[in-house]
Amino acid sequence: MKIDEHRAKARNIERSLLRCTLDDYETVIEGCMLAGTHHFNILLHDRGSPLEQDVMHAEFLSVAVRRKSRVMMPGVLEALDEIERFRTSYVRGDLPGGTQAAQRALECLDVLRSAAHQRI
Amino acid sequence: MLIGAHLAKFRRLHAVLERFDPLVDKEMWIWNAMNGGVHLLNAALHKIGVTAEVDSFHSQLEGLYVVPDRTGGNLRDALHPPGDVMHVGQPPIAAPLPPRIVRACAALRSIEDLREPYVRGDRQPEPGDDRRWRDRYLECVNELVAEMGVDGGEST
Repeated sequence: MKIDEHRAKARNIERSLLRCTLDDYETVIEGCMLAGTHHFNILLHDRGSPLEQDVMHAEFLSVAVRRKSRVMMPGVLEALDEIERFRTSYVRGDLPGGTQAAQRALECLDVLRSAAHQRI
Repeated sequence: MLIGAHLAKFRRLHAVLERFDPLVDKEMWIWNAMNGGVHLLNAALHKIGVTAEVDSFHSQLEGLYVVPDRTGGNLRDALHPPGDVMHVGQPPIAAPLPPRIVRACAALRSIEDLREPYVRGDRQPEPGDDRRWRDRYLECVNELVAEMGVDGGEST
């Protein structure tokens, strides 16, 4: 997708998240992953990423792309990785601490959104 | 996960789903419907015994689980037979499934298939899509609830 389309998708997902509280942590974490991935794609497109397709999950990026991303966008890939890690424990799993994980996911989403906005 | 944990997750996700409009909040509606459906499917598969009721969580990699240490709080990777499925057919289930679960899986897969065009892509829904999506979700839920004979928290 194009940058404007990613931005619109991220905005819509973030608007939907306003209907949730931290107690809805499964939904908050998933929404942060989805919106955060759109922000991440904005940044990759902005830097002329050679990837032919949009990124779906940061975890599946090649080692080379991950290394370059860390250099080009310090802290951004780490934020998306952190959100994705919460999915196994709190969305597919039932570890205690989901509310705190949701709060942290929102903070990571802020990192991704800020980075995407600074560049566009 | 254990059946009770899957049912609790389903009920929580279903409750949030009711706050979303399938057209206005289409990304989160689709995602919540899918996640809730998968938890209910896992509960049903465990209950009929075609997958094992194990205290492990499916990771993002098909067939790779993490096992929680409930006292220490740590997680360790594990490879074991299913277990939870991540999505319909992931990992595949070899055993034959009852007709209700087959129908539920077909309905759930139709929700999962909405991810690419409407969540990751920017296709816009057509008039009536919201009703069709809801119908498929409720078909999935109702079939699974009927198979299990439990109260899924559904209001249909």
